[in-house]
Amino acid sequence: MDAMTTTAVPATTTPVVGFDQVTKTYGSVRAVDGLSLRLYPGETVALLGPNGAGKSTTLDLLLGLKQPDSGSVALFGTSPREAIVAGRVGAMLQSGGLTDGVTVAELVKLACALHPRPYPVADVLARAGLTPIADRKADKLSGGQAQRVRFALATAGDSDLIILDEPTTGMDVSARQAFWATMREQADQGRTVLFATHYLEEADAIADRVLVLHRGRLLADGTAAEIKARAGARRISFDLAGGIDESALGALPSVTRIDVSGQTVRIQSADADATVHALYGLGLYPRNLEVAGLGLEQAFVAITAAEEAKQQ
Amino acid sequence: MNSLIKLELVRALRNRKFLFFTVIYPSALFLLIAGNADSHTEVDGTGLTLPTYMMVSMASFGALTATLMGNSERIAKERESGWVRQLRLTPLPGRGYVLAKTAGAAVVSLPSIVIVFAVAAVVKDVRLDAWQWLALSGAVWAGSLVFAALGVALGYLATGDAVRPITMIIYFALSMLGGLWMPTTTFPQWLQDIARWLPTHAYAALGRAIEQSQAPHAQDIAVLVVSFVLFAGGAAWLYRKDTLKA
Repeated sequence: MDAMTTTAVPATTTPVVGFDQVTKTYGSVRAVDGLSLRLYPGETVALLGPNGAGKSTTLDLLLGLKQPDSGSVALFGTSPREAIVAGRVGAMLQSGGLTDGVTVAELVKLACALHPRPYPVADVLARAGLTPIADRKADKLSGGQAQRVRFALATAGDSDLIILDEPTTGMDVSARQAFWATMREQADQGRTVLFATHYLEEADAIADRVLVLHRGRLLADGTAAEIKARAGARRISFDLAGGIDESALGALPSVTRIDVSGQTVRIQSADADATVHALYGLGLYPRNLEVAGLGLEQAFVAITAAEEAKQQ
Repeated sequence: MNSLIKLELVRALRNRKFLFFTVIYPSALFLLIAGNADSHTEVDGTGLTLPTYMMVSMASFGALTATLMGNSERIAKERESGWVRQLRLTPLPGRGYVLAKTAGAAVVSLPSIVIVFAVAAVVKDVRLDAWQWLALSGAVWAGSLVFAALGVALGYLATGDAVRPITMIIYFALSMLGGLWMPTTTFPQWLQDIARWLPTHAYAALGRAIEQSQAPHAQDIAVLVVSFVLFAGGAAWLYRKDTLKA
């Protein structure tokens, strides 16, 4: 496992989530392949990965909806089911459906009644922004509204761990912002939050730890800044007059990728300072020099592309 | 779990179409079949008048509708929509869902039974002793658990588009061949031989034995018990398989 960093937490703390060499296979496809990870109390963690990376399977295993072929999964040191029964976990899955013929308020009331430490129904409705549509039938909701109901069901009581699978799918921009504001409140109260997302800027903005999952394996584990650095996090571009010696430029320190088109050179570098310093050391005179940060999305693409190249 | 049962009831009572077919339809069918019969004609070899005979048939039919039709389609649909998964994210025990569905169906089946009895007593002058009315209600109600278990099993067996036709075929076969719509004595002999082993036939026979102030036949009790064990066992097995797959 080439996970990059480990979080500095004393080994004696019981992890909120503990995956130990977990493997899950469907036919010939390894959806989760020897995954080991630990989440600790109070962390806000993003699970990033392209479609088919194993995110949903990982969350299913974590919640005990699926059983691993090998390895072990623990929540708070117990089985997932025990943790759920104890009301320690609230989860919102994309595949979680709502039943029809009942109202939003009735569904939330049910979730509150089932939780060992419930919040008042009115509070849960209000926090999820459902008060105005509390009397609407659950089968007459838009995608974003249904997502908010799932969120309400996941936060009906005082749980220690909140799991969200692509929670803002179907929400418009303002609903998305409101959603994350609510989620931050939950995290600020000391809860552990784990969310899978397609919106990489959300991982960047909200998570204090990012797990990159690809083909069922953990490719990277660190802060968003560390993930970016790992992929060659700075983009350097400049123009050069005259002939360009691409191999000399590629040999500059910390360069992870180089593109030359005409007079323009674009370099991705893990350490832009060192690269630029060495560039001048070659005796070259770059014009229009620009150094810019790489977004998490590009970093993510770079990491998964590198992994695929390695495997071929 | 009580909260889920409550929710199931609220939903069932809100669903007018379902209520019509479970609560009103059996009584309407009773009037249609027994309405013109005079209250003295006896059904061959039973010692019961046609209205008395059909009253048990239709009460059984109503309970069958409420338990079988209600559960199978809903469970299949809710497995598909992910509601069953959603519930597995809550502290609700795994059996809770199935028990709530069964309890919900049982509550709806009771009025369908009682209304058939009331219509028969008021409109067709069916007269029984007080203990018979009570025993009859209890037997028909308790017996409906057999078909509730079958409904759960079908809900876990079939999915989507398949569940309705499969349920319908079983429902009509059980109703018709079990003699709920017409006495099986009108069937050819070979069909009567098959019908005797159907749980619906044993179910109605149980009620008729009470009307005749007789002890129920051992064969009928055996058929019902074996059916219940088979359906409930099948439902439990399919439920566990579905849980591993989810």
